[in-house]
Amino acid sequence: MTQPQKRDQGHWGAWPAWRAQHRAAASNSWQKLVVQPVVTAVTWLVIAISLALPSTLLLTLDNLSAVAGGVDRSPQLSVLLTGDSELPVAEQLQRTLKSWPDIDDVVLLDRELALSQFIQQTELATVVGSLARNPLPHTLIVMPGPALSAAAMTDLGQRVQTLSGVDRVIVDTRWVARLETALQAGWRWVLGLGAVMLMGAVLVLGNTLRLAVEARKDEILVVHLIGGSPAFARRPFLYLGLWYGVGGGMVAALLLMIMTWWLTGPVNTLFLLYESPQTMRVPGALYPMSLTVLGGSLGLLSARLAAGRYVRQLVSLTSS
Amino acid sequence: MIEFDRVSRRFGQQDALRNLNLQIDDGEMALLTGHSGAGKSTLLRLLLLLDRPTGGQILVDGQSTQQIQGNAVGHYRRRFGVVFQEHRLLFDRNVRDNIALPLEIAGFSPHDANRRVRAALDKVGLLAKERADPNGLSGGEQQRVAIARAVVARPEFLIADEPTGNLDPALSAEIMTLFEAFNQVGVTVLVATHDLSLIARSRHRLMTLAAGQLMQAGVA
Repeated sequence: MTQPQKRDQGHWGAWPAWRAQHRAAASNSWQKLVVQPVVTAVTWLVIAISLALPSTLLLTLDNLSAVAGGVDRSPQLSVLLTGDSELPVAEQLQRTLKSWPDIDDVVLLDRELALSQFIQQTELATVVGSLARNPLPHTLIVMPGPALSAAAMTDLGQRVQTLSGVDRVIVDTRWVARLETALQAGWRWVLGLGAVMLMGAVLVLGNTLRLAVEARKDEILVVHLIGGSPAFARRPFLYLGLWYGVGGGMVAALLLMIMTWWLTGPVNTLFLLYESPQTMRVPGALYPMSLTVLGGSLGLLSARLAAGRYVRQLVSLTSS
Repeated sequence: MIEFDRVSRRFGQQDALRNLNLQIDDGEMALLTGHSGAGKSTLLRLLLLLDRPTGGQILVDGQSTQQIQGNAVGHYRRRFGVVFQEHRLLFDRNVRDNIALPLEIAGFSPHDANRRVRAALDKVGLLAKERADPNGLSGGEQQRVAIARAVVARPEFLIADEPTGNLDPALSAEIMTLFEAFNQVGVTVLVATHDLSLIARSRHRLMTLAAGQLMQAGVA
């Protein structure tokens, strides 16, 4: 042993020392995760579910919003004629309706043409071929004049309904309005659920970290007694929270990919049913990155709250 | 130099220390004794800034500890090596990592830290146990690891609170010899103890506390 030193000989500069402390804290915290694989896996999974479920719902709603947004919203009426109405009757009705002052245009959809399109889109030629006759009616698409109110549209629909040969009148914008309203409710529901699930993730993480802090309180006390700052005592737990959060975020990204793959089929079928040309948007790099960053931030926040509070309590207890 | 200048510490109506005056010179080794509740632990807590006096002041190298606040407290404590009766080793770290903790806090480079840890282990006779799990060590070995941790950063002051409380007389003598060795290279050592055998064989200044006051000071 040499003479005691009043100066910090052997020290690095402040920056390399700080970096080395962080590297040691990060590495030690990671090792603590590795030696407890079950606890780590369960914590990651809880965080992942809390992040992946709202994310998947958001992704689905995002796709459905695109459907609603891509639809031509100009109000129109679909006039389905009775099954026994022949083409000349349909053409006569088209001319009649075109002459009405509150109607701009009327398009006739020939039922033979509609059937061939249906066969092309659904590949159900064999099934359709087995039918005795074409089940589709002739249809008239009625485009009313501009700035027609909802009440005027309803009135127009009722007047068209009274015409001979008309089986049913459908106001085509209703489903869009319903979808939009459902989507608005869906967004709120998903945001609310997401907030609750994130809060749950913070609480689970906070509790896990509180237990970790509790298990290592001797270390905090010793660090405090031998001159470590509260920041030094907190640091391993911040990294522990970060690893839990980042790991959870990465597992959430993986779950999101799996869910997307699983949902692609039904969602694309839904697009087809709504006559939308698009296919499901698959999450790009942004989603997994956002989930990882969000997970890491949640982990840090939880660790800061749990460890910060405990270290403060301990320091005040041993210093009072 | 450590100087207690009319230091008092009152808890409610109870005086743990009353107008205590004492001085420990640089490079001195002193023993502090007294019955339980005499004020030994309070004195050490005040010195380590784990508590603050309600009267008087403590001067370390002429600086009043009252002026040391915030982040400066940590820097101040790093001037002290502390040995506790119950070791306070971290059982999820090996011997080497326990000893390296003060160096990690103080920001030593890994190379320098390794050198110092090995030197401290050599000094306490545990070089062969560098990678050992502290759980597998005997009580005496654990206390020697705690001493190595206390001295590894080469503190100016070595404070020991009942360091031989759990050890047999032979091991106690061995621990005391270690303290003397550190004192001989210039470390100021203060040992709080009520181990009579330890006091009897010591040639150092003995300070006796009773009811928060210094009753007697002299060579043991």
